[in-house]
Amino acid sequence: MTMLSLTINGRAYGPREVRDELSMNDFLREYLGMTGTKFGCGAAQCLSCAVIVDNPDGTSQTMPTCVVPAVNFNGKAIRTVEGHAKNGELSVLQKAFIEHFSFQCGYCTPGFVNEGQVLLERLAKKPVARADLEKTITEALDGHLCRCTGYIKYHEAVRDVILADPDRYLSRA
Amino acid sequence: MQPSRREFVKWVTASGIALSLSRLALAEEPDFAARETFPGRGAWNPAATGVGRIDGVAKVTGAKLYAADFRAADLPGWPSTTSHAILIRAPDATHVYDGLDLSRLSGALKPAVVVTAADLARTGMRVPQFYAGDLLCPVGKTPLYLGQPVALLIFEDFDAFDQARLALRDAAVLKFGKETGPVKMPNYGQFRFTRIGGPTADAPDVYSPVKNGWVSPGFFDSSGHPVWARLPLPTGQAYAEAASYGEKIRAELAENNPALLVLDREFETQSVDPMFLEPESGLAWYDAGRKNLELVVGVQSPYEAAESVAYLLGNAQAAFKPAHINSNFAYCGGGFGGRDHTPFPLYVALAAMFFPNRPVRLANNRFEQFQLGIKRHAFKMRTRIGVERATGKMVGFAADHALDGGGLANFSGQVATVGANAALGIYYVPKVDVTTYAFHSRGVTAGSMRGYGTLQTMTALEVLVDEICTALPLDPIEFRRRNALATGGRTMAGNPYIVSIRTPEILDKLEQHPIWKERAEQKARGLSAGILVGTGVACATKDYGSGGDGTLGAVEIDHEGRITIHSDYVEMGTGIGTALANRVAAHLGSVADEVALAQVDAFGPLALVTSGDSYTISQKTQDSAARNPRWVPAISTASTASIGAHVGTHAAAEAARIIFRFGLWPAALELWGIAPKDRVANQWETARWKDGQLVMAGLPPLALPAVAAKAHARNGVTGAMAHAFNRWAWSQATFALAGQAWTADIDALAVRRGSGKYVRIDRSNVKFPPADFNRIGQSYTSACGHVMRIEINRATGALRIAKAYSVLECGQALVPQVVVGQAQGGFAMGVGYTLLETLPPYEGGPGNGKWNLGQYLVARGSDLPLRDLEVEVLPPVDPEERPKGMAEVNMVPVVPALINAIYDATGHRFQSLPVTQAMIKGVLK
Repeated sequence: MTMLSLTINGRAYGPREVRDELSMNDFLREYLGMTGTKFGCGAAQCLSCAVIVDNPDGTSQTMPTCVVPAVNFNGKAIRTVEGHAKNGELSVLQKAFIEHFSFQCGYCTPGFVNEGQVLLERLAKKPVARADLEKTITEALDGHLCRCTGYIKYHEAVRDVILADPDRYLSRA
Repeated sequence: MQPSRREFVKWVTASGIALSLSRLALAEEPDFAARETFPGRGAWNPAATGVGRIDGVAKVTGAKLYAADFRAADLPGWPSTTSHAILIRAPDATHVYDGLDLSRLSGALKPAVVVTAADLARTGMRVPQFYAGDLLCPVGKTPLYLGQPVALLIFEDFDAFDQARLALRDAAVLKFGKETGPVKMPNYGQFRFTRIGGPTADAPDVYSPVKNGWVSPGFFDSSGHPVWARLPLPTGQAYAEAASYGEKIRAELAENNPALLVLDREFETQSVDPMFLEPESGLAWYDAGRKNLELVVGVQSPYEAAESVAYLLGNAQAAFKPAHINSNFAYCGGGFGGRDHTPFPLYVALAAMFFPNRPVRLANNRFEQFQLGIKRHAFKMRTRIGVERATGKMVGFAADHALDGGGLANFSGQVATVGANAALGIYYVPKVDVTTYAFHSRGVTAGSMRGYGTLQTMTALEVLVDEICTALPLDPIEFRRRNALATGGRTMAGNPYIVSIRTPEILDKLEQHPIWKERAEQKARGLSAGILVGTGVACATKDYGSGGDGTLGAVEIDHEGRITIHSDYVEMGTGIGTALANRVAAHLGSVADEVALAQVDAFGPLALVTSGDSYTISQKTQDSAARNPRWVPAISTASTASIGAHVGTHAAAEAARIIFRFGLWPAALELWGIAPKDRVANQWETARWKDGQLVMAGLPPLALPAVAAKAHARNGVTGAMAHAFNRWAWSQATFALAGQAWTADIDALAVRRGSGKYVRIDRSNVKFPPADFNRIGQSYTSACGHVMRIEINRATGALRIAKAYSVLECGQALVPQVVVGQAQGGFAMGVGYTLLETLPPYEGGPGNGKWNLGQYLVARGSDLPLRDLEVEVLPPVDPEERPKGMAEVNMVPVVPALINAIYDATGHRFQSLPVTQAMIKGVLK
């Protein structure tokens, strides 16, 4: 058993004693009732379970939760799909996913929301050239499986958010 | 989100058990129905302005929506803690099962309850006929199939469950004894479809399934294979007649006739998994004191699931028989057929019944979903086609199909017949003979999956057609044009389609598309660059509807013009909720802000009853039953992607028409000051809604809220609830409304006036589609064409799809963005099926419980031409054309087009699926 403390969507959780082998996915879904983070494969292959980890240096990345013990998140700050909307206002990316009809069944959507958000934040810090944008989006989202949509409308939504604010996301090179 | 205002009603009783979806106790937490009603009154509704789906906000914010999301603590009135169950499954189906060894689970890990086959027998559990076979394999028997469940282990709390499942991982907890080989079982179905057309297209058929009935052979060889030959026996004359014609067709194809090109090819398709992203799960709680069972599951067939659970428990010992079952059906995280008639809810219910007073959750992980989830049938096909060399027209067709149905029958028989009836694809052939049979095996059960047999048979067909075009030679588009079934032409069964045939337009579109027009120069460009370039084309037409579809819809409008819809249809991603809202909006002028789906008990006022099997009922029995105004051939049937628009929105649309005609229209007339006897009063069909206002030439536009308020004030019809049935045509009946006879494509109706309660209106002159229509293979069809260009790396065999174009038709597109999205998704699934996905059939296959996404590959974004897939949807033939199903057909031509493109690039024609990179590389050596 290990004491676990972490921050989820800006709120502190713990310290709480958890079994070492308890997965982060089960911690979120079974202990906290936060089922926005999905369970898809349990093998880190579909990434419907991915959450955002915010690092102390200001960078962020997604991490699967289905194969990672909860204790590995001790001391970390994470964001889940439940945390993107602020005061009832959807994020720009969430709105874009809706307006592009990006999802169908929606089970993979939390993973895409998280991954797309991380990409936007990364590009805001380190813009890419327009010519590299498609490749950048594909590489960022490619770990996420969607069985319904063929991915196109997810990519279109992310692309349109970026192109709507080129000064922020695209380099001038 | 406010709870919807649906009244509590009991639905039906079966086995003495009352079934319902009741309103849960009010509490701070929204109840299940409120959580699943979208978008919710007062919430932002993206669908209202066409910028999203009604469930859009819920899905991007991670709202509790799927069965996998619910725990007891989420549901008001339930105990606060959830127990958990594990379903132990057998990875061996050739040895006798000798029992469980749970010695690894001691102390805190010991299950609170272990349920075995002996417990099911002891307590009087019954297996619904559809799932015939032991739910849990008894000790002393060889498992019926790989992955067959043998025991349920139930744990008091999550920690014990979680540790126990870790302890059981890779452990040999099942004991097996002597080797028996696989269990032998009868075939799931065998049929022969033979048609000999008359001397001209208009002349009556000489012989056809519609004219002469469907036939099955009555004899089998020692291995269980049907004997298709006509036997010199006095019995089975109906079959012998078909066989006689069929053998004649085959003999003609076998003649060495120089005027005919005859190709004879075999084609094999593989087993695949629907791989919907949410593994099956469920939550159940049996309150023994109240004898009440609560269920939360996510299935495509809610009505069937509720009835099957009731049947399972209906004859059980008193302690195991609830008096009431309340089923809550959640949104599905994908379906693709794999949640249609799944046995999973039975195990969820058993878990609760054997651990009373504690909510129990049973959830597949992905390994278990591969192990037990319904699969697509693997087909083996042999096809012979004779083409007149002089005209390029097909004159004879013979095919033999064999389907591996796996361990349980499920829909194997139906998939066999649907696949056989699709064997001619878009074409007309005057002489046809197709045999098909589905057999039992020790593989994982196969059942419904997107395409439902047609994907397999039309892939074989379109690949063979491509080869014919090369052999003749004849341009592939021109060949298809010459042979396409024309409007009014007869299908293989002997009936014409009753909907528009758009094949000619689709072929024109394909022919004119740059991918097709530039195929030669692109190939040459590739050659000069050292890349193999190939272009492939294919066209398909697929039935939609099952030939026995019941549908329920209720629509209400309040005094402010706000609309609520209830439907029995299930949302599994297809956008049915938004489609319902849009179709109703065409009649009522506004998009609903409360849409509740998977409602099987919200239609109590109709008091429907049913009996018999709508697929096998005789005309006499149907006529007799129809005298009861409450009787319908089927109340509610499973939701499938391709019937959502066609069937799933129909009853609600008819209900909305009635509200308009007998509620809003009279109110509008009063607001306009038009007397009921004025000629304008009868012109309600010419009125149109525009921007929320009712528009009529020469009259001032009326805002919906004003019209709705007036309708309520004058006690007009403000709510309607309808049922409809389709057997390749809609049922029709007449209802007395406001002193008028209203005839519509529905067979049951209740209306609400003002804010009153629903009042049932007895039908008259009901006309159910004739029982003989069960001989029709398909009458509704929609077409899709596909052309794509690929590039293959000579050295590695790596294939890249450079450009692709899909053209399809779907009548009136209710949500155009969803239609395009379905086509894009079907493309991805088609690419995966062609190039990536495969499951070995038996040992080593998914029944061993070791399969997951690391081994089973589905298409990722990088496998697809994300910026180079063009989808074109043909406009409806006229503004009134009804919606047509398109979510299955869009996948079909992708597969043969890709194989044909591979041939064009490599010169090798693959005759089995999948075609992997290694296989392509192999033929390039």
